[in-house]
Amino acid sequence: MKKNTIVGILLLSLLLITGLSGIVTAITAEEIINYRDKNEYIISARIEAEMIIVNGGRKMTKTLRSLSDDQNALTEFTNPRDRGTKFLKRGEDLWMFFPEAEDVVKISGHMLNQSMMGSDFSYQDMMESDQLTELYQFKILQEEELDGRLCYVLEGIAREGKEVSYYRRVIWVDQERFVGLKEELYARSGRLLKVSMVNKIEQIDQRWIPIESVMENKLRENTRTEFKLLSIEFNPEIAEGVFTLESLQS
Amino acid sequence: MFIAKLGFRNVFRHKKRTLITAIIISLAILIYLVTDSIMIGIAELSYQNIINLETGHLQVMTEQYWEEKDKNPLDQLLVKDGQLAEEIKALANLQGMSPLLRFNANLNNGVEELPVLGLGIEPNTYHQVFTTGDYFVKGSFFKAGEEKAVLGQSLAELMDLKVGDYLTLLVRSRERTFNTIDVEISGLISTPNPNVNNNIVFVPLDLAQQSLNLGDEVSQLVIRFRGDQGEMPTAARQLTEKVAKINPDLRAYPWQASAQSILAMMEASQIENIIILGIIILIAAVGIINTTILSAIERTEEIGMMKALGLKEGEIILAFMIEALGIGVIGSLIGCFLGGVSVAFFNRFGIALSAFGMGEIDIGIPIIDKIYGGWNPGAFLFIALFGVVVAVLASILPARWAAGKDPVKAIYHR
Repeated sequence: MKKNTIVGILLLSLLLITGLSGIVTAITAEEIINYRDKNEYIISARIEAEMIIVNGGRKMTKTLRSLSDDQNALTEFTNPRDRGTKFLKRGEDLWMFFPEAEDVVKISGHMLNQSMMGSDFSYQDMMESDQLTELYQFKILQEEELDGRLCYVLEGIAREGKEVSYYRRVIWVDQERFVGLKEELYARSGRLLKVSMVNKIEQIDQRWIPIESVMENKLRENTRTEFKLLSIEFNPEIAEGVFTLESLQS
Repeated sequence: MFIAKLGFRNVFRHKKRTLITAIIISLAILIYLVTDSIMIGIAELSYQNIINLETGHLQVMTEQYWEEKDKNPLDQLLVKDGQLAEEIKALANLQGMSPLLRFNANLNNGVEELPVLGLGIEPNTYHQVFTTGDYFVKGSFFKAGEEKAVLGQSLAELMDLKVGDYLTLLVRSRERTFNTIDVEISGLISTPNPNVNNNIVFVPLDLAQQSLNLGDEVSQLVIRFRGDQGEMPTAARQLTEKVAKINPDLRAYPWQASAQSILAMMEASQIENIIILGIIILIAAVGIINTTILSAIERTEEIGMMKALGLKEGEIILAFMIEALGIGVIGSLIGCFLGGVSVAFFNRFGIALSAFGMGEIDIGIPIIDKIYGGWNPGAFLFIALFGVVVAVLASILPARWAAGKDPVKAIYHR
């Protein structure tokens, strides 16, 4: 009897352990993305950042500050060479202001595919602000260690009828901190187009935020763009009229 | 009769002066004729290059696509179904018809990226409409279904590509999703149209449709007729009536509709011609006025004598006008002769654009290398008459001044 009880307790424990572990692993791909978005998806912020563009042997450093809300963003470059160059995103539209020409240009159509300021980011990359789960059907591919951190490897395939730039994306999400550590972006043909890697993460206002990341355009050799977040302020006060063409030209 | 004789004799009294004035007039006429010939040559060559390498004679597409065509959209396309093809094949004098799919792409060589126009073509029918195949520098066109591409030699040099190399076209499908077309270069072309050489990458239509997720849709059907292309606007109207019955959005557009910038340039050249005419008036008038005044001063005593003998002022003016007419005729004839020789030279041997310092740069016209002058007999006739009339009119005022002199003072030269 006593022996049976022990066996029973052992069996129950085993069931509980396997059951619990089942609950733990039963987290869905969508939940992982949502957890990640809670960390990384910024609705409104004021940031200062540095962009280091490496192309072959050339290296260019650009600094910028940006103000954004849920629909709009105004970015101004502050390094001497590009000082005064500004981008304004309003909903689905993007404008650029060149201080030398004192001219505003709307960036649309095929121009959105071009490189932004010579970096590995396209203008289109700047425009993407929708939450990923609305655009992609995610599934967990595997669990894998990346730079010593255990990650979920997720695959997102574009949902039918949704307009997305990249047909497939594979994302490595830190299992503990739910922050994306690596992302691969693929064309419909299966060709790898871009890879972004996060090199440094910091906890700011109880959110894990990527501080330093690198984007590589895989269609071009020897090119990468490092992005360093120098400061960030969440939910700043935004004066009226900031996201207007007038303020772009001022 | 006496006045006419007197006038003509005066023409040859000072042969050197007459010749110099006539040469001044003839140079002005020469400039006009050469400019006119070169403008005609530019227009003719531009039209040929547009028809042979870009538009064919007629283009069938949806009205909505036409309005947006500069953006190369992937919506508002058309499907070449049986009925539409039959309707076009039934056209009189048809040489060929071919579908085209135009799309924006980034040409990537693994190091650099450049925005280009991707052109999906059907190799079997493309050569029936366009002469692009005549301009291969190396290699040849691909076959349908092959993963190959053709591009201009200048574009290939810019991107450091050669035949046998692979290139990637980064495109966006209608759903705005990135896709890549990886192709081997099967040939390089160097056409007389810089737009084609510098901006276009040709790929098989089926490959482009598949990569852009477009099924059987194409941007347009291009049509070429045998022989003369003069009446295209009428042919376009007639074809529009037919194709609109199949699909109310479809329209046929003549090549002229795609050559608006060149046509506008030709209109601008008319203004240029008017300016040159103005200069000719000025040059001829100055020459004639100068000659007439000199003659009058020289012949003051003679004029006085003629008036004393009973010649009327009008008759003296007429004598000077006839003298100017003679100079005008000589100037016009020399000018037309020199113009004819120059135009014949430009027509036969052409003139390199580099002579104007614009051999390698895009000057907004679909021509590179050489311009050949065109013949315009009407211009010769017009400018010859114009030269004579200006000479005659310019002589009136100084002749009146000479004829108005008092005969007694004139004889004593006071």
